[in-house]
Amino acid sequence: MYDSFLVRRDSLQNVCKDGEAVGFKFAVQLANYRGIYLSLVNGFYVNMDGVEYDQDDLTLEVNGQPPRTMTELSKAVWEHWDLQDEAYVNVRKPGGLEKGTHKLGYLPSTMDAYGYQAHDEEWVKNPPKPGAGGGKTFRVCWFDLELK
Amino acid sequence: MIHRGVSLYSYQQNEFFHTMNWKDELREVATNLQGADGIEIISECTIPHYPFPPESFIYDWNNEMARWGLKAVTMDTYVDTLQFRNHVMTFEECAERLMYDLRLAKAMGFRNMRLCHNVPMDAVRIALPLAEELDIRMTNEIHAPSPIVPVEGEEFGETVARDVAFIQMTGTKHYGLQPDMGIFQNKPNRVMIAYALRAFMSIEDADAASRDLVDRFDEMGIEEVTEYATKTYPQLMQGPIARHLFRGASAKPLDLYSIMPYIYCIHGKFYEMTEIPGKPGQYEEKSMQYAKVINILNDCGYDGYIDSEYEGQRSQQDMGYEGLPDEVEQVRRHHEMMARLIADKSYVNFEMKF
Repeated sequence: MYDSFLVRRDSLQNVCKDGEAVGFKFAVQLANYRGIYLSLVNGFYVNMDGVEYDQDDLTLEVNGQPPRTMTELSKAVWEHWDLQDEAYVNVRKPGGLEKGTHKLGYLPSTMDAYGYQAHDEEWVKNPPKPGAGGGKTFRVCWFDLELK
Repeated sequence: MIHRGVSLYSYQQNEFFHTMNWKDELREVATNLQGADGIEIISECTIPHYPFPPESFIYDWNNEMARWGLKAVTMDTYVDTLQFRNHVMTFEECAERLMYDLRLAKAMGFRNMRLCHNVPMDAVRIALPLAEELDIRMTNEIHAPSPIVPVEGEEFGETVARDVAFIQMTGTKHYGLQPDMGIFQNKPNRVMIAYALRAFMSIEDADAASRDLVDRFDEMGIEEVTEYATKTYPQLMQGPIARHLFRGASAKPLDLYSIMPYIYCIHGKFYEMTEIPGKPGQYEEKSMQYAKVINILNDCGYDGYIDSEYEGQRSQQDMGYEGLPDEVEQVRRHHEMMARLIADKSYVNFEMKF
């Protein structure tokens, strides 16, 4: 669901620290019809201009908090990400991106459920690899994003 | 008497795009749906900052519901078994979540609280005394592909029988059933087929091919159409949602007789309301057996709500803004159909006389 709308198209920007570009970020919403506990965020498949990024390179900026790693998010077991709220996926990339159009492949992986499932125990130990399971959108979604 | 309501789930796309909020949705239900007065919500969509909404929201909610004369029918809740990530939620933790949601439902005036179909009875048993104290009926959703009549060896095949046995054994009036119309879906849903086709076809071609496939159901059985589709569009049957495309009904409308006393609410699931040829202003949901089901509910004197649950938008969000369906219009059409079918007491279902 929301294949064409998971990423806001005018949201791409470089992330700067001490005057240096250290990465980029873009705005996303949940691929869902409801909000979820933040702990259920398992990760994001991010492919920018043909480069796939590791989960260790990603942080999520949500609920007015500084960017948090996937491990930090997994511990936010009582904090909710509401359906209507935007968050920024931050991606570490020293130097950031050049100005112009970039091609993003994106798919979130979340572990929200309809109750007990056969894979529950397995997912505690081995969560699905983002891009290969978890969530209500079925395929990687592609976006042309312009960095101004 | 059959009452009509709307699950605000139906307006999820408007929530996502901020084009409607819950107040807009309540006004729409109260003013444009020919007398519908029931409201169902998804707790984690409508309640801001769930599970800890500001107290002002609760006042605001009750005020707005009273303003429009609406009834809070059902609150839908979820059990995210991996919420804690380092272990699968225990039954005690599951029951805690249910009990927390029961209190929220009570504060917002709801009569029922819908559970997912995978909530274990061990958790239900723990939460039940609170449900009785608060006088809220917990309902187990009967969702496709679950049957009503037990089917041994199938996933969820025995769930309804389990529930009925529990209700009869305990005599509780605070645990019951909530069938989803999707269990009576006996033809494929066109919008989902079109979505799957767009993975390898243009929007226009997918539209035409999906209509062709669905039309074939007028003359062919589900196996024949599946075979035809597999041969004509091999890629269609390899996609991630292939198993959902040509699924038959998991229950028969007649099965409703066996569980009628335990039904506290019904999900009026639908995917696409289309105009009936030759009948301007009248609509139908071609994949669902609404006429039969409503006839049976009338026959039994079902006293409860059917809440619209529009789901077709989810399969049409891969194009552009221009390809998005109009949820408001779809729900209005759904209520045209339901009001007409509910009022039609002349319909005779010969099948059920035996």
